[in-house]
Amino acid sequence: MTNPATDARPVMELRNVSVAYHGDIRILQGLSLAVRPGQITGIIGPNGAGKSTALRTLYGLLKPIEGDVAVDGEVVTGMPPWRFIAKGIALVPQNRSLFNDLSVEDNLRLACWSFRRDKARVNGALERAYAQFPILHERRKQPAGKMSGGQQRFLELGRALALQPRVILLDEPTAMIAPRLSAEIYEFIATLPKQGITVVLVDQNVRQCVRISDHLYVLELGQNKVDGAKQDFAQDEQLRTLIAEWVDYRIDA
Amino acid sequence: METLVIIGIVNGLIVGGVYALIGMSLTLLYGVLRVVNFAHGEFVIGGSFLAYVLFNTFGIPPLAALPIAAISFFGLGYVAYFLLIPRLARSDDPESMSFLMMYGLSIALAAFMLVLFEADSRSIDYSFTPISMKVGPVYVATARVVALGVTLVVAAGVSAFLFLTLPGKALRAAIMNREAIQIMGVDIVKLSAFAFALATGIAGITGVLVALVFPAFNAFSGPEYAIIGFIVVVLGGLGNPLGALAAGVFYGLAEQLATVFLPQAMAQIVGFALLVGTILVRNAGFGRWRVSR
Ligand SMILES: Nc1ncnc2c1ncn2[C@@H]1O[C@H](COP(=O)(O)OP(=O)(O)OP(=O)(O)O)[C@@H](O)[C@H]1O
Ligand SMILES: [Mg+2]
Repeated sequence: MTNPATDARPVMELRNVSVAYHGDIRILQGLSLAVRPGQITGIIGPNGAGKSTALRTLYGLLKPIEGDVAVDGEVVTGMPPWRFIAKGIALVPQNRSLFNDLSVEDNLRLACWSFRRDKARVNGALERAYAQFPILHERRKQPAGKMSGGQQRFLELGRALALQPRVILLDEPTAMIAPRLSAEIYEFIATLPKQGITVVLVDQNVRQCVRISDHLYVLELGQNKVDGAKQDFAQDEQLRTLIAEWVDYRIDA
Repeated sequence: METLVIIGIVNGLIVGGVYALIGMSLTLLYGVLRVVNFAHGEFVIGGSFLAYVLFNTFGIPPLAALPIAAISFFGLGYVAYFLLIPRLARSDDPESMSFLMMYGLSIALAAFMLVLFEADSRSIDYSFTPISMKVGPVYVATARVVALGVTLVVAAGVSAFLFLTLPGKALRAAIMNREAIQIMGVDIVKLSAFAFALATGIAGITGVLVALVFPAFNAFSGPEYAIIGFIVVVLGGLGNPLGALAAGVFYGLAEQLATVFLPQAMAQIVGFALLVGTILVRNAGFGRWRVSR
């Protein structure tokens, strides 16, 4: 089976990674995971499975006690988080990542830190964020912390996308967003690969995550329970049943 | 009585300005690094001794000592950051280790100043002409008026940096959300080193002002200023630079007016009463901007 999309070199990888917060309890236990270029890689699993931990490890926010993190096939284990933006990789973490007392616009400007001297590029980034989420333009002078939960999420998404990353890591992107809008956001995320943006999507909204993903990882207790391209899931009745039981969503054959 | 009150207010503003700068620098350092700098008072007194040496040995007056103190203490803070803080990251319990380390640094710096300058209290024999100025109905030493002016300039300058420039906003952003600022691509090590250097630079300037405003200082004066600094930081809301400025002035006014209205012994405890009161009533301090962990 040759599939150019899956055989291309992964843009990001976890290779046999173990992570512990304090002491010896390993939250991730030898987890391996590959992010294929031009795809949406979905990571699902129950609460506490280690999905966010995996994403934070990919982004250098946590250092593995075993195993490696790789970007473009190159081992970057221990590389600090602030170096990822320069590599074209953006993260929208699960917990709030806004600067509450700074204005919406200042939040966007800080995201442009790595190219802050390039005025034209900064303005382009602001315009893109405002075009994507007009509410951000309306509220640009307001403190970020004074916006509603959903609006704050828009700011976080707009901030990451404004950078035109080639890879974006999203942890529960639609948490706190009303159902109709969140459906729109999934439609939008689904179009990102066509714009050349590789997506890693961690989501409790399993239905949507499975629907738009090209490749799925199902985590359990810090390990990779099962993974595969979605068409493999679709063809394998056993896997389909497993997913259906697991996430209450049937992948169409 | 009325004149006494006016004197109290004028002195309160002057002294409070010094406290405000100490509080602002401490709160910046704490906010960005989450390290309580017990040695901050020694850095302040180090600035006083620097002004003393510059004047007594080289004849450089205190006003000219200000930029020298600012730059040399900025550099000192930058070096101190890399000597001290990366060690903490390697510890299993960085929080309590930072307490021990900064407390140890405080003692070491005090001992170092003791060796250099002995235990006698020092003051700078420099006098401005005219030696005092009329402020409203009262006379105030020119040195103190100058100190107040310098305080205003430094406070305004640092505030403008923090609120109007992108690097300043990055510094405040790091106080608000230390993880998020790293995701924005900001090198937190560089930013922390800069915060430490900036706080130490302000401490150096404040030290020169201490020499102008207070009658004398010695190698062991540091903790007095550090304690007032901590009270001001808590009053102003942890990690809130503007809150610290306001709280410093408030503390200075309370302290100086207390000496007008209360017996000497009572006036001494006003500061602590303020601290305890704030912690009990509003544990966020003056500022609503509370550092989340
Ligand atoms: N900062 C932390 N310190 C200690 N343990 C943590 C920390 N963060 C997460 N954990 C633990 O690690 C495990 C995995 O957490 P993680 O946040 O990765 O789960 P998750 O799969 O993202 O869950 P959810 O769907 O609820 O977001 C949990 O048991 C959690 O308690
Ligand atoms: Mg999570």
